[in-house]
Amino acid sequence: MSVATYRPPDPLVVETVDRLFGATCTFDAVEAADGDRWAGGVWEMLAGSAFPWVSIPEASGGSGGSLADAAAIIRSAGAHAAPVPISETGILGGWLLAGAGLPIPDGPTTVVPGSLAFVDGRVVGTAIVAWAEHARRIVGLVETPEGWVVAAARPDQVGIVPGANIAGEPRDTVTFEIAMSELESGPTPSGVDAEALVRRGSLSRIMLSAGALESMARLAVEYASTRRQFGKPIGSFQAVQHHLVIAGQCSVRASMAADLAVRASMASDPVRRAGSVGSTGFDLAAARVIVDDAAVLATRAVHQAHGAMGVTREYPLHHLSRRLWAWRHEYRAVAHWRRDLGRAVVEAGADNLFPLLTDSRV
Amino acid sequence: MIRFEMTELTAGERALQAEVRQFLAEELPRGSFMPGLGMTGDKDPEFSRKLGARGWLGMALPARYGGHDRSAVDRFIVTEELLRWGAPIGHHWVADRQTAAVLVRYGTEEQKQRFLPAICRGELSFSIGMSEPDSGSDLASITTKATRDGDGWVIEGRKIWTSGGAVNDWMVVLCRTTPPDQVTDRRQGLSQLIVDLRSPGLTASPIPFIDGTAHFCEIVLDEVYVPDDLVLGEIGAGWTQNTSELAFERGGPDRWLSTYLVVEEFLRRLAEQPVADAALALLGDAAANYWILHHLSLAVARSIDEGRSPSTEAALVKEMGTRFEQDVLNGVLALVDFEPNLAGTSIFERLLVTATMTAPSFTIRGGTTEVLRSVAAKGLQPTGGFR
Repeated sequence: MSVATYRPPDPLVVETVDRLFGATCTFDAVEAADGDRWAGGVWEMLAGSAFPWVSIPEASGGSGGSLADAAAIIRSAGAHAAPVPISETGILGGWLLAGAGLPIPDGPTTVVPGSLAFVDGRVVGTAIVAWAEHARRIVGLVETPEGWVVAAARPDQVGIVPGANIAGEPRDTVTFEIAMSELESGPTPSGVDAEALVRRGSLSRIMLSAGALESMARLAVEYASTRRQFGKPIGSFQAVQHHLVIAGQCSVRASMAADLAVRASMASDPVRRAGSVGSTGFDLAAARVIVDDAAVLATRAVHQAHGAMGVTREYPLHHLSRRLWAWRHEYRAVAHWRRDLGRAVVEAGADNLFPLLTDSRV
Repeated sequence: MIRFEMTELTAGERALQAEVRQFLAEELPRGSFMPGLGMTGDKDPEFSRKLGARGWLGMALPARYGGHDRSAVDRFIVTEELLRWGAPIGHHWVADRQTAAVLVRYGTEEQKQRFLPAICRGELSFSIGMSEPDSGSDLASITTKATRDGDGWVIEGRKIWTSGGAVNDWMVVLCRTTPPDQVTDRRQGLSQLIVDLRSPGLTASPIPFIDGTAHFCEIVLDEVYVPDDLVLGEIGAGWTQNTSELAFERGGPDRWLSTYLVVEEFLRRLAEQPVADAALALLGDAAANYWILHHLSLAVARSIDEGRSPSTEAALVKEMGTRFEQDVLNGVLALVDFEPNLAGTSIFERLLVTATMTAPSFTIRGGTTEVLRSVAAKGLQPTGGFR
């Protein structure tokens, strides 16, 4: 595994963005976004500091910085249940636009999480797209006879039927049926295809989930130390401590998995280093398996620790748990990633299994 | 919330890893020996001496005591490779992992000179004298006592579940030196004594283990005399010393590798192509778990090298690692279509037989899952944060 290009995130960026999310993603703001479908206040603050475009080179209209910086921002968004298209605007949609040399809009951008067809000069396809209604551009990858092409549509150029995932985050049905010539478009750089987009999308869900899992563990520990039953804090009961331990383990596992996935992704980021994305395969898939498992176990344990309090809309737990449940289904369910890993293991064979596990070489 | 720092091996550390891998491939080629399950690997003094000659025992100890001034990460690398290979580490395991660490911290200069160089050469074997018939998790309730006698102590009592008690050289015995009615806290008045397992008055009798092996012992101490120069650390400080002995080693690779070879051998025997989806799912799940446990465990070692005391982290790793050892075994067993036979001779079948029977001990030895949860929960303190 080459890690020559990896640098840990800039601590100043991490601290600033965390404070910003902390100030804007209040309980009321997140709760309101659920019905309003847009958290303008959160977005304006974020965009005002140019955070959504971190990792996109300044020359391409972005804010500069590394993928590790962007990943840290996305993790913080997850930790605060930030109801904004942060990964869609930056490391997904923005990444595609910059790679194809297309302009980066100064508002939110979103992305078609798969690919679109090319039929008789027209871009055709239907997909569930995050925050499509509020995006300045909806970016898609189109498979053409000449190769992969990035095409960007304005919302008024496509059909949009509003929808939402179970966390109340906008997930709209978008239908493309438009001539390529009417869209902004350009060929992708080498290595950027639908598979690379899915991997990057999965990385974004890993980061969001790692952040949410960390917050959820913190919430559980705090609640168990203040909520009293039978005359003492419930955290002093062994059975409840068990839930806290599960929550803590899920948090540290997901955080480590997220760090490792970012490091591996930077070792072969196709925008920065032309070439194969193959070497990100193992770490990224393994991280998704770990994070998915953590989402299941931690939401169960933390809800159980909270009792009836946690299943009301008046308490913030559902801002985290509903998101974790929703994100599990995006950019391929865990079964695919688990099977990919299984195949990597079979290909490596018994004698190479341990080196594979500890060196992350596929 | 607690977070583990991601780290990676340096070029030098990778070179050490490669060196250990090459040594094992040459010394113990796959198929040439019956591998053990992690820390219960066979006792082979000759093999331990070879490791000692390579400088791979007592690695983190000071050179003046025969050690090698190496890091916790270097020790982690060597230990991880030995365990995943199923190497016969039984002779030196306890001495290298925990006795040496306690001796270097609490022992007298004379004790260090006497024991540490021999431990580093792989010559000495130690047993752990903690549990008693009526004291398991509640260790402060032990009743084995030592009373003052001239220039030493006389021990009276019984220790149980003592691995290697009948064949090892020494045992560190936790015993009561002040009666419980003369202390305000039961954790006071305990001491650690280094006892020669050949001492007059000491009887070691094997307790047949669930898989029929005989390494488990009961040790009866009937007026066993221990001179003052074999008191470890301070009289009365046994509880603190004993706790420190347990703390960090809980986060090591021995806590998640016990059934690794079952998975490796399962993979080796996957003849059928294409591989069934159930097997791919199992292997994918196992791979992700080994990957994350490796990195968490490595982070604990790195954190020790950076001068921190990651005892909560170590407890979290042991609690999840030992449960995983059982889960992954059950995952493999669910795909095994034949009934493992006690007379079976293949490595896979022998491993299955032993792993199935001994798996319940993984979440008991070195601190039960329940005790670890309490230890870990104490370390998970509210820190402020999410709204």
